[in-house]
Amino acid sequence: MSRIPVILDTDPGVDDAAAILLALASPEFHVLGISVVAGNVGLEASVANASKLVALAQRRDVPVMAGAALPLVGTQIFGKYLQVGTFDDDLVAPTDAEPGEQSAIRFIAEQARAAGAQGRTITICAMGPLTNVALALRLHPDVARGIERIVMMGGAFTALGHRTPFAEYNILADPHAAQIVWQSGVPLVLMSLDVTFQALFTEADFAGLEAKGSPAGKALAGLLRRFDRSDVKRFGRPGGPIHDAMTVAWLLQPELFSGNDCAVGVTLYGPTAGQTWADIHNKTVQSPNAHVVNHVDEAAYRRLVVERIAGLGAAVPQRHSELRELHA
Amino acid sequence: MTATPIIIDCDPGIDDAIALLAAFVSPELDIVALTPVSGNQPIERTVRNTLQICELGGRTDVPVYAGCHRPILREPIRGQFHGKSGLGNTNLPEPSKRAEDKGAVEFLVDRLGEAARKDKPITLCCLGPMTNIAMALRIDPTVATGVARIVMMGGAYREPGNRTMTAEFNMLADPHAAHIVFSSDIPIVALALDATHQVILTPDHVRQFEAVSGRIARTVADLMAFWDRNQVERYGSRGGPLHDPLVIAWLLAPHLFETKPARIFIEHESELCMGQTVADWYNKSGQAPNAQIVTRVDASGVIALFLQLFSRYQAERAA
Repeated sequence: MSRIPVILDTDPGVDDAAAILLALASPEFHVLGISVVAGNVGLEASVANASKLVALAQRRDVPVMAGAALPLVGTQIFGKYLQVGTFDDDLVAPTDAEPGEQSAIRFIAEQARAAGAQGRTITICAMGPLTNVALALRLHPDVARGIERIVMMGGAFTALGHRTPFAEYNILADPHAAQIVWQSGVPLVLMSLDVTFQALFTEADFAGLEAKGSPAGKALAGLLRRFDRSDVKRFGRPGGPIHDAMTVAWLLQPELFSGNDCAVGVTLYGPTAGQTWADIHNKTVQSPNAHVVNHVDEAAYRRLVVERIAGLGAAVPQRHSELRELHA
Repeated sequence: MTATPIIIDCDPGIDDAIALLAAFVSPELDIVALTPVSGNQPIERTVRNTLQICELGGRTDVPVYAGCHRPILREPIRGQFHGKSGLGNTNLPEPSKRAEDKGAVEFLVDRLGEAARKDKPITLCCLGPMTNIAMALRIDPTVATGVARIVMMGGAYREPGNRTMTAEFNMLADPHAAHIVFSSDIPIVALALDATHQVILTPDHVRQFEAVSGRIARTVADLMAFWDRNQVERYGSRGGPLHDPLVIAWLLAPHLFETKPARIFIEHESELCMGQTVADWYNKSGQAPNAQIVTRVDASGVIALFLQLFSRYQAERAA
């Protein structure tokens, strides 16, 4: 089986934690590294959280690197759950795992250029503000060529915003970076609020995460309970979304999702800064620059996330050794 | 006296070339590196021009690092007064010197980071769009403490723009980069059109430079003659403004310049005023000054300084 070489660009963050654990639990991936960006929480806390997560998943072989501490141009805005800070030690055990010395931005650029030079490509799962990816693309014109696609969580098209009336957080936090990435010519798959709001995780899922006694599953369930993401008024039913994990899930099981290829863009400033538009009905002459996902098989997505993470490090000997071999 | 360590970030460009040739023969300046950027010309060409000028000036010892291939956000714009190659009608030989493998942004992050750790900050001379240093600042904000100051050519305050009604070329070419740099708390000396339009290199000056510049006299005269805007109603005489070389002149002879402190803001949102530099002369913003803006220049003093520098090429002497 040939594994998908992937960089996880992330600002953990609780839903990032789910995405990272899902990726580390999936033998389909060769996780080249975790490039961390300031976003949901500050850069230092994000890096600490990423380090805790690789230790939790017993994957300290995956390098964690610090990237951009600030958005490209605008004023810094943190996530709604800034108070998450560094994951509480009672939920995610402390670790002595240290981040790598290398800059996450240079890592992305070097991995992409090296791949491109050898006629290979890498995939990027982007789950935070796009600052790291945008800076990497600007470092050298060859970087774009080495990227197969960027699967990203961000934007809100038919859904309204969740941070301002019109803006989704990852885009709002660095709209200029989003513009750079979206106009880079690299194929994009967008998981916007339109689709991430369709899958809501409830207590039954949290219990499922813990069912096999996996430390990763227990930690994630604990985080999801402590930082309740439900909003019955908005979603019309109980449960909360786990936005970021959809990027990883799309790479694992694209058949769970459907969407359209369309032109997308972002507003850089003013009261609607961070608003994203998608030309779903072909009203512009611009050619499509993204695959905008608008539907998910909710039950199958929840099952994928829950089962994979519940099995991560759980005592199922055969599966476990198989994973270890793949990761070696 | 110890020489001031400098990195020259440039996009040659005729006036960049004159600035480099002046710096090359100034023992007061320790040129750590040259970091050409996309600007007046595409990056391949500004790198090539930089290498050619190094060879012309006998300074192949100075490392050249190729910088950003385009502005951070906006589409590239090019200079209009530098000729097809960027160096007027000169026809310099194909350079044998090569750029370093490392990119300019990576070099700035590493070298300025080292300067910060050793507490030996470096002066940055910015002669082009500020993309390289802006990228470095965003990749690693701690590099700011490795910069002693930025002496930059760009902007227009009481003077109108030279590329649009309100914008000077370097600022318009990458206003987002300029915004990043002017928000960085690095001390800045700003040589805007307000200053550079006070120093016009007239045809008479060109003849004087040709007379003193020894083995590079022909090329210097060609570059300078090409620079003549032939726009007397705007500049008050024939000739062209000595934009980028003023950065070097300020480093060597700050007494020839008068400055005023002010907070500078860069317009990066409005299409009409994109790249405009806005100076808070009378503290309306409530923010502390981030720059010394040059308001007056002793033009004849500057010309005399450069004539003296270029005469060093008679001795075939490299600094």
